[in-house]
Amino acid sequence: MKLPEMKTGLAISATAHAVLLAWGLISFAARPLEAKHTDAMPVDIISDTQFSQLTKGSKNAPKEAPLKPLVEKVAEPKPVEDTAAKISEKPEIKAASAEPPPPAPAEKPPEAKPENKPPPPKVDAIAEALKKEEAQKKREQARAEAKAKADAKKQQEQQPKFDPSQIAALLDKRAPQRLASTGNELNPTAGLGVPTGSAPKLSQSELEAMRARLMQLWNPPAGVANPQEMIVKIRITLGRDGKLSGPPMVLSSGRGPVFEAARDNAIRALFRGQPFNMLSPATYDLWKDIEITFDPRDMFRG
Amino acid sequence: MNPGDVAQSVLPLTSSDLSLLSLFLQAHWLVKVVMLGLMGASVWVWAIALDKFFLFMRTRKANDSFEQAFWSGQSLEDLYRTASAGQAQSMAAVFVAAMREWKRSFETQTRSFAGLQTRIEKVMDVTMAREIERLERRLLVLATVGSAGPFVGLFGTVWGIMTSFQSIAASKNTSLAVVAPGIAEALFATAIGLIAAIPATIFYNKFVSEVNKQAQRLEGFADEFSAILSRQIDERG
Repeated sequence: MKLPEMKTGLAISATAHAVLLAWGLISFAARPLEAKHTDAMPVDIISDTQFSQLTKGSKNAPKEAPLKPLVEKVAEPKPVEDTAAKISEKPEIKAASAEPPPPAPAEKPPEAKPENKPPPPKVDAIAEALKKEEAQKKREQARAEAKAKADAKKQQEQQPKFDPSQIAALLDKRAPQRLASTGNELNPTAGLGVPTGSAPKLSQSELEAMRARLMQLWNPPAGVANPQEMIVKIRITLGRDGKLSGPPMVLSSGRGPVFEAARDNAIRALFRGQPFNMLSPATYDLWKDIEITFDPRDMFRG
Repeated sequence: MNPGDVAQSVLPLTSSDLSLLSLFLQAHWLVKVVMLGLMGASVWVWAIALDKFFLFMRTRKANDSFEQAFWSGQSLEDLYRTASAGQAQSMAAVFVAAMREWKRSFETQTRSFAGLQTRIEKVMDVTMAREIERLERRLLVLATVGSAGPFVGLFGTVWGIMTSFQSIAASKNTSLAVVAPGIAEALFATAIGLIAAIPATIFYNKFVSEVNKQAQRLEGFADEFSAILSRQIDERG
């Protein structure tokens, strides 16, 4: 191989390669992909059973605490949704409604009211103290109401004038308040759980009673070729009185006269069956929103 | 693993370890050899291509000017004298070879024209073959690099991927940070193979057709010249 005659070609080629390589070294230097840094989100995976048995409590409670809801007063069980707000004896007053504004609490600042402190461990003393407090509160409330009525009358007499500059004065600037959580037993420290948790299950007898009632009333068309077409799943919302508090929602979808007849019949059965007073009000949280399956095979499943 | 930890362990890798130089340096020695070999092949291919390009340009120009001179009505003796003075190339070489054989036959004074025609044709054929051989020398290198380059690069890639799988097995971790350097290094080998092979194939195709064109032109000239000489022989004989 005679190299000398290829000197020019070789020289040009080598130079070009060197230049390309140098350019590659600079331009191919890896730049990190600019991904937005997102915070990690903790996710717990729980089973269906665990979900349906979420215990009442507060989300930030230590795990070792006994699993009990926060109870600050002995009364009919009624948990609170938000444990962060301050406790107030009065039901929450909503501002900016169509009704005349509630009596301004200017003369009686809320701070002056004896707030419910976390009760000391002794149950009886607290109960007594609470009762006393309640009595006092009631008296105060009555007084305040009388005064409020008088004020309201006075206000009605004066013609209300619209003044945009005073809108700020009408805004509700109070800290969020709530009612004390009640329960059968006092428990100052909440266990781990969610405010809307519902660990106790609907008792089987209550469910069975409801099923029996609905089974009596549901008359699906008999003797059809495909009975599986008649399976209807309906979601209902119930009020405390055991009556439907909203229109039933049909969850299963189907077509054909058989399904439609079964569906309409099921809805009719639900309306005719109310009130479902076999469901105890104590477990209202469990049955206020339930799904019912109308199945011709085993008639119902709650 | 905590996502934050993963991000932290990945970021420095991508920022520092994937530049072209570090890709080469952290490769297995076999892959390095493949890369260097392909790099050398690329340099050689381009050198040959440039050389051939200039050679064909020169040859075409020389043939054009020679043909012009040949058909200009100039006496063949004068043309022979000027052509044989320098180093005759291509068409001129064929002409010089034929003329030399012609003159030699006349100088010996044998006056036998019987074998002259065949002898001249033989001499022209030999010269033509030599000239074409000169034109297509080293074109086989281009063909070889063009067909074998991708395979060699692929070999480097397969080897690199093997090592990256070994590193996965060693670290028991399939995160991208473990796999990426090996794969990138492996793909780099294929890239170099293709960089060498693609121009080689293109140049090979182009130069082969060029050689064919030149060969046809030479053959045409040889036939014409041999016809002229044959007429001359018949007139003298």
